[in-house]
Amino acid sequence: MSQHPVIVGGGPAAMAAAIELARHGVRSTLLEEASRLGGVVYRGPLRDGVQLDYLGPRYSEALSKLHGDFQEQAGLIDVRLHHRVVGAEGTRSLVVLDGDERLHEISYPQLVLAAGCHERSVPFPGWTLPGVIMLGGLQLQIKSGVVKPQGPVVIAGTGPLLPLVATQLHASGVSVVGVYEACAFGKIAKESLALLNKPQLFLDGLSMLAYLKLHGIPMHYGWGVVEAHGEDELKSVSVAPYSATWEPDLSRVERFEAKTLAVGYGFIPRTQLSQQMGLDHGFSDDGYLRANANIWQQSSEPHVHLAGDMGGIRGGEAAMLAGKIAATSILLQRGVLEEELARVRRDRYLSKLKAIARFRAAVDRYTERGVGQIALPAADTVICRCEHATRADIDRALEQGVQDIASLKMRTRVSMGDCQGRMCVGYCSDRLRQATGRKDVGWLRPRFPIDPIPFSAFQSLGTEAVSHE
Amino acid sequence: MTVHINGQPVTAAIGETVLSVIQSLGVRQVARNDHNQVSGAYCGMGVCQCCLVKINGRHKRRACQTVVREGMQVETRVNRIHGQEAP
Ligand SMILES: Cc1cc2nc3c(=O)[nH]c(=O)nc-3n(C[C@H](O)[C@H](O)[C@H](O)COP(=O)(O)OP(=O)(O)OC[C@H]3O[C@@H](n4cnc5c(N)ncnc54)[C@H](O)[C@@H]3O)c2cc1C
Ligand code: FES
Repeated sequence: MSQHPVIVGGGPAAMAAAIELARHGVRSTLLEEASRLGGVVYRGPLRDGVQLDYLGPRYSEALSKLHGDFQEQAGLIDVRLHHRVVGAEGTRSLVVLDGDERLHEISYPQLVLAAGCHERSVPFPGWTLPGVIMLGGLQLQIKSGVVKPQGPVVIAGTGPLLPLVATQLHASGVSVVGVYEACAFGKIAKESLALLNKPQLFLDGLSMLAYLKLHGIPMHYGWGVVEAHGEDELKSVSVAPYSATWEPDLSRVERFEAKTLAVGYGFIPRTQLSQQMGLDHGFSDDGYLRANANIWQQSSEPHVHLAGDMGGIRGGEAAMLAGKIAATSILLQRGVLEEELARVRRDRYLSKLKAIARFRAAVDRYTERGVGQIALPAADTVICRCEHATRADIDRALEQGVQDIASLKMRTRVSMGDCQGRMCVGYCSDRLRQATGRKDVGWLRPRFPIDPIPFSAFQSLGTEAVSHE
Repeated sequence: MTVHINGQPVTAAIGETVLSVIQSLGVRQVARNDHNQVSGAYCGMGVCQCCLVKINGRHKRRACQTVVREGMQVETRVNRIHGQEAP
């Protein structure tokens, strides 16, 4: 058994936790499936020596500070890249697939889960065409510094990521047709005061809007996506004004040529591991499942901690603070810090988190999704790509009285394919909640392994596990 | 280094993903799923399974999560169930 705390993830939450532990002389093991540290926001360029000037000076500064701080402590952090956690054995050990496709079992005295989130996929006619891509995925492509998305690009969705990505795209030389923010401008303006809880983020937002205006990129408020068109791949995109509840006004549809449509209507925490461990979960106002944590970032099992987006979406800065709090709790549990001192440190981080929480709450209020959008798919629009279940299949199941996700899965096969429902769970949950009027219609339960793995990998388990550590 | 996309030699850099090499060719149609539907990269982060390609003879490898290695043979739009090969 590893005597060291284990950290799952390599994003800002995980890195901050590892740094904090190392600063107190505690060695940790960090498991990250990607080839680089940094998570979805701070992974940095794939190629060495690439300058990412077009991402803005504040981003570059935060990026180099996080990686610099980490590097200083590198001697006490056992980083394992290309290591994917594919399952959990209770709350004492993890099943991990390494870069050579061998399975290992790694046990831990304390754990930090910081697996982050993925984007919420919103289905509409044509959403499966090559060229339609999720907004954050598009941003990862720009940040990789290797290739640029094909323009012209249409951006549709809601939230502060829209103008940010539009600015980054334009600065990297890609043509942006327009940005379509589903929420009305008045609703954002109403939140100005609360958004000022993070004045710098608010100013950044304003300067991005000024940048877009200066470069003639139209920003439309209260507009959203309706349909993507094309035979084998995307050719054009239809957008329309959205009502307050996000019903599109189909009499005012506008259509634009585009090679790329980036869609970003929010995020969903990655709860596959926390669910498999049987930890306590709850639903957010946005309808997604998330693991519950207390003010020490402890889950319902006190030695298992949650940090970052896994416990709810709050952005990179909050992820780092939560990682530090989780580390502080572990330092207390291991007797490295005394209770009083740990408490003082925790409260310092918590007070910083509060300002972010107020800012996030304002963002959540204006980006609140309208129910009208679930009417977008046509009868033959595919909802679950992996198992090819259509909207008509889901409608039929609901008419037959299906009340929860588990039954919907049995009826329609949604989520039984390779992605295990990560892409359709948002839509299925929305439809069920609307049809039943209930807040809790269940959530998709992960299977082991949480990601597809080759059969050959199983041969190594058992023998390898013993020799490991 | 050189990798082969559908037999065509392409120059790639250390650290880059199979997906970024495919995209550098201007190709948007990447995968063919078990239902014979062609898809492009969608999430870019390993969760949607829409970028599955054949790499060195093995099916269903995620292009967005695989780092290129010298001499890699990559085939797009192929599926074990649907025998079609890319043109
Ligand atoms: C595509 C995308 C783009 C985003 N862009 C922005 C942005 O520009 N600005 C912003 O403020 N917020 C952005 N967000 C929100 C962002 O998620 C948070 O702000 C922040 O990155 C959260 O940090 P984290 O450490 O919790 O998670 P992440 O940064 O997501 O890090 C989680 C890490 O865990 C790894 N991981 C997950 N599961 C496993 C596993 N089973 N085994 C091993 N490793 C695993 C992942 O590879 C990842 O590197 C984005 C989100 C997404 C999904
Ligand atoms: S693009 Fe989604 S898994 Fe690769």
